[in-house]
Amino acid sequence: MIRLCAREMRGAWRHFGYALACVALGVGALVAVGSFADSLERTVGRSAKSLTGADVEIRSTRPLSAEADAVLAALAREGVARMRVLELAAMARTGQASALIELKAVPPGYPFYGRLTTDPDRTLASLIGEGRALVHDALLARLGLTVGERLHIGGAAFTITGRITGEPDRSAGVFSLGPRVLIAADDLGATGLVQPGSRVRHRTLLRLPAGEEPEVLRDRLTSLLPDPALRITTFRQAQPGLRRFWEQLTLYLGLTGLVALLVGGIGVASSVTAFIRERLQTIAILKCLGAGWRQVLGIYLAQAVVLGLAGGMLGAALGTGLQPLLAPFLSALLPFEVEPVVSSGAVLRGIAMGLGVTLLCSLWPLLEIRRVPPALILRRDVEATLPGRRPWAAALPIAAGLAALALWQAGSWKVGGLFVGGVAAGLGLLLLGARGTIALSRRLPRRGPLVWRQGTAALHRPGGHTGAVLVTLGLAVMLIVSVALLETSLRNEISGRSPTRAPAFFFVDVQPDQAERFARIVAETSGEAPPELIPVVRSRLAAIKGVPVVPDAGRRDEQWSLTREYVLTWAAAPPGRDTVVAGRWWTAAEAAREPLISVEEEIARTLGVALGDMLAFDIQGVTLSARVVSLRKVDWRSLGANFFVIFSQGALAGAPATYLATARARPDREAAVQAAVVAAFPNVTAIPVREVLERVAAIVDQIALAIRLVAGFTVVAGLVVLAGALAVTRRQRLYESVILKAVGATRSVLARAFAVEYALLGVAAGLAGTALAAGLAWAVEHFFLELPWSWQPATLALGVAGPAALALAVGFLGTFRLLGHPPLGVLRRE
Amino acid sequence: MISIAGLSMRLSSGGRPVNVLSDISLEVAARQFLAIAGPSGSGKSTLLGLIAGLDRPTAGRITVGGVEVTRLGEDALARFRLNTIGYIFQSFHLIPTLTALENVAVPLELAGERDALRRARELLAEVGLAERAHHYPVQLSGGEQQRVAVARAVSRRPPVLLADEPTGNLDSATGKQIIDLLLALNRNLGSTLILVTHDAALAAHADRLVLLRDGRIVGDEPVNGVTP
Repeated sequence: MIRLCAREMRGAWRHFGYALACVALGVGALVAVGSFADSLERTVGRSAKSLTGADVEIRSTRPLSAEADAVLAALAREGVARMRVLELAAMARTGQASALIELKAVPPGYPFYGRLTTDPDRTLASLIGEGRALVHDALLARLGLTVGERLHIGGAAFTITGRITGEPDRSAGVFSLGPRVLIAADDLGATGLVQPGSRVRHRTLLRLPAGEEPEVLRDRLTSLLPDPALRITTFRQAQPGLRRFWEQLTLYLGLTGLVALLVGGIGVASSVTAFIRERLQTIAILKCLGAGWRQVLGIYLAQAVVLGLAGGMLGAALGTGLQPLLAPFLSALLPFEVEPVVSSGAVLRGIAMGLGVTLLCSLWPLLEIRRVPPALILRRDVEATLPGRRPWAAALPIAAGLAALALWQAGSWKVGGLFVGGVAAGLGLLLLGARGTIALSRRLPRRGPLVWRQGTAALHRPGGHTGAVLVTLGLAVMLIVSVALLETSLRNEISGRSPTRAPAFFFVDVQPDQAERFARIVAETSGEAPPELIPVVRSRLAAIKGVPVVPDAGRRDEQWSLTREYVLTWAAAPPGRDTVVAGRWWTAAEAAREPLISVEEEIARTLGVALGDMLAFDIQGVTLSARVVSLRKVDWRSLGANFFVIFSQGALAGAPATYLATARARPDREAAVQAAVVAAFPNVTAIPVREVLERVAAIVDQIALAIRLVAGFTVVAGLVVLAGALAVTRRQRLYESVILKAVGATRSVLARAFAVEYALLGVAAGLAGTALAAGLAWAVEHFFLELPWSWQPATLALGVAGPAALALAVGFLGTFRLLGHPPLGVLRRE
Repeated sequence: MISIAGLSMRLSSGGRPVNVLSDISLEVAARQFLAIAGPSGSGKSTLLGLIAGLDRPTAGRITVGGVEVTRLGEDALARFRLNTIGYIFQSFHLIPTLTALENVAVPLELAGERDALRRARELLAEVGLAERAHHYPVQLSGGEQQRVAVARAVSRRPPVLLADEPTGNLDSATGKQIIDLLLALNRNLGSTLILVTHDAALAAHADRLVLLRDGRIVGDEPVNGVTP
């Protein structure tokens, strides 16, 4: 049996070459993404302690209570060392120039783990403290400063003593507001930036005596300090935000890679179909000699296993080799270097996926073996159609198997289900499009020049794989074009905002006694109407419907809503952009009776509150309960101040409030407005909207680039399918072209006929794929991003022209050698 | 009309070189009907193919109507075939994706003739296949396919007609019809006709019979009893 199988494989490599390339490309995409995700996870895992700078960390938005301090002091007697690090956004200024910075105040022993690297390379104590600061390069460039010069932060002046070249526990979001400035904790008071209601991140870093488990300390602390406002984590839970972002990104990249593998699977199926068509005689002979169809199927399935394994291993090598190429695109989004590793997990998983897809995709054409009648050897001509029906009953388990592989890759029912549904719908529509194209090419009026008719006729050539090529190329086009459409939409949304909608600045932490003068100065320098000043009060959720919120409450996705900081405001009338969707807004009389709140509808659903329910908030230690009387829909796309929870007027009287201001300014006035505000109010932070949006746009670009890179595998796989289809029909093409030559066609006539065929194939795939991409992009924009649909004619046109050009190029590479063939030998063989 | 001098063709078969044609020299006058006979493998078809420029000889020179075929480039050869040669193959060689009518029209269209399809329809009628115009080759019998092929070969009224065992794949009754058709058309056209066959009865129709064996001319004589 094995020998039979091995013998059968001889001479099959012409078909298997293309199938092998298909599998290898798909697996390569998966392994490249998987290895990168693994490398990242390992890098984060290895340097987890330095990424936190501690064994256990306590985070909060206000200073630890006296009670908590007492607990930590008691722990100190057990040898648990602690230090306090404060982080906040602030303005750095010198003369007229100012810039938004991320300020960090650290004690002398900083950090517990990892190493802060600086230029010059000296001890921290000799670089900060007593009015000295370390700054990031970007700030020097922004303000035109050099080491040794002075800058102002809040109400204090600092001398720059050096540059920060590496910071172990940089809160490594993908996004940062501005460059880092490091000062001593003792100098923070002089800046006057820490006031009631200011937005400050308090981090308490704890170091354990050697040999003790951080999880034990975390659990002890959680029970000793049952305050939901405190986030207590071990270093092993370092950077949850960063991890979540990368988990998501690599998940979507992985699914993009899976599309490449599915395209490869279609390539495998079409190669196997061609192979079986050639082997009908052999199969009939084997059956005549007494082999059962299961035995024959076994022989060919064994070949599929070899193919899947070989393709998988080739793909694993390819993916591992390409990972360093993918890494630079993604590393631009990371605050640290990722060292590429060979990930055995990703490799094994990739090979398993390759094998699974190969087997499932070849099973469908291989089941044709059952229908081959032994009597076939009696007929010289191979009949085009086999007796009996296609094994439709087998289609279900095959589809289920492929869906299971997709779910395995996705790792969740929800994402996997969406993916399977989307791919199934896309494949179905593309298949329909392919059928339509073939039917159309058959019914097309047979008019026009010879090259046109010859080219269109070739589209419905028997065994010509027009369907497979259309589906695979179309799928690739759909991926690439939808990413391009979404990216441009997002970019337009971010950067193309009309100045009437978007403010130029957000100003944060305007103190109540500064409000009036602040409004006057902004209005004078901007030449616009006075800025909108909104009172804000920072709080935590204390109880829902009378049930206190505890730190471990709820599922993981709910926890964010439960333990996050709630920025509250009050208003007598609903904000103009919001619409009340349930209940109604309070009257002055109602507001005077008891505290009332209006809650944003999504967060109300997450928290499980309805009209009439009570929510309690902890405002700087004071608990305030209020009744939900209306739910609002908020237009989050509007760049204004939006709130989850709005109180009735008067309910928050006495709470420590600061003001948030949004101000408009013409681009040429922005610098002047910022300079005037920063000079007059050193404690106020100015967030320049344009700059922030540009940074967001750059991240969107970077992500889109990474997705496009992985989607590139799909395109190449689609082109391999095309090349394979050309190889299968090579004999037929050669035959037709030598007949045409024999009756007097020049090479140019032949080339033009081929060009018509390939260009039509490419255009059809481009049209189908681009139409699907437009549908997909519209759905994502409409249902998930809530963006209006925008026409992008250039992208759409490129989505059609691009595949046409590629199909032409690959087609010519595959057939140009046919053009010079002397006809006589070919004609005599046929 | 056709002048062949010192023609040799060496092919490799299974790694061994084989002399398919050795030092063939032949003159064919205009309007002559020449039959080439000989056992299979004697090089008849190769000789015919070389005259049409369907392959290149190893040595020697072929001139057709004053044009030195053996010196033409690939595309010039195609144009030469289009304007000078009508070729009929043993196994018909129609383009499977085109209908009978379209197959006949191909040379006319290649030549850029305006009413190619109308002309093709007339030609199909001449070979008795007017009602089969829109059938594909697979839907036609062997005899019908060969008639389409004949119509295609004469469509451009070529000065030279080459027929390579045109009845070899047909039963004798059908084969006779094809030969009658071919000869009738040739009488009208006044072309030079070279017919490769190993059928003595067929060869008897010719003005002159050339015998090939192992790639060499072993006999060249006028055929008695038939006058052009």
